[in-house]
Amino acid sequence: MDSYIYIITALLPLTAGMVVLQVNPYHALIMRGILGAVAAMLYAVLGAADVALTEALVGTMLAITLYAVAVRSSLVMRLGVLQEEGMELGSNSFVEGKSKDHVQQLTNALRTLLAKHYMRLELACYPNPKALHQALLAKEVHATCAQPSQRITKESYENKQSTSLERYPYQTQIRVHRLYEILQTELSSLGTTLIDVDAVDAKDSTEGNP
Amino acid sequence: MTVVLMAMILALLIPIYEAWQEDDIWQTMLAFASIATKTSVMILVVSVLRDDWMIGVVGAIILSVGNAALMLLAHIIKRMGEL
Repeated sequence: MDSYIYIITALLPLTAGMVVLQVNPYHALIMRGILGAVAAMLYAVLGAADVALTEALVGTMLAITLYAVAVRSSLVMRLGVLQEEGMELGSNSFVEGKSKDHVQQLTNALRTLLAKHYMRLELACYPNPKALHQALLAKEVHATCAQPSQRITKESYENKQSTSLERYPYQTQIRVHRLYEILQTELSSLGTTLIDVDAVDAKDSTEGNP
Repeated sequence: MTVVLMAMILALLIPIYEAWQEDDIWQTMLAFASIATKTSVMILVVSVLRDDWMIGVVGAIILSVGNAALMLLAHIIKRMGEL
């Protein structure tokens, strides 16, 4: 057997190790493409042309395309905001306004925080606070951001609100507990009040039951 | 001819190292493009070396499929950056 075959064979565990050690999901996808290319070359050099063709078609092309779509749609946080605030975000005109600056600042802080965990932020606009709350309950969005005075409040955390209202004008309600844990660690840079909806609901139900 | 293949394997190690080190996703895509093309060309070289037409046809197909995969992946990653 020729000596170059041994070196080509050694490339396969090398690239496989790179895929395993990569932490960024998008980089890992490209590494998977590299692994597919190297594996196809190895199979072709070893004489298995049909296996090499299948590896290139399925392993390199189909797998990474499907995985890219899956990663792109799963690593996202959908934040529900009210219509006028969302429209302000869409247009780049910076008119002096306290609430606008605040939402802009909050979304920027969220984006940088989520980028550390390789996630994206997607904004969804809703016309009124009731629709916003319905969307959170219907699991259309992962979190909502609005001023507490505008939204439907529950008696159970009104006490907590009144104390935090002076510090932060905006309140973020989060449905997903893991997201709440991630955001809780960097709460000071966000400038908002965080409320875990699941925890509040659970507390409500335990308080309601005798 | 073995010397040529050895040189190509050494050249293949450069983009692999680059893909491992680089943080920018587009640099990694460039490394992927380089590797996909290089491996296909190496398959073609081996097919000429052995006078095996079956491997040669597969090498040509892998060359085009690697480019197609790169195009698809680049479009998806570009859309990700826009949102």
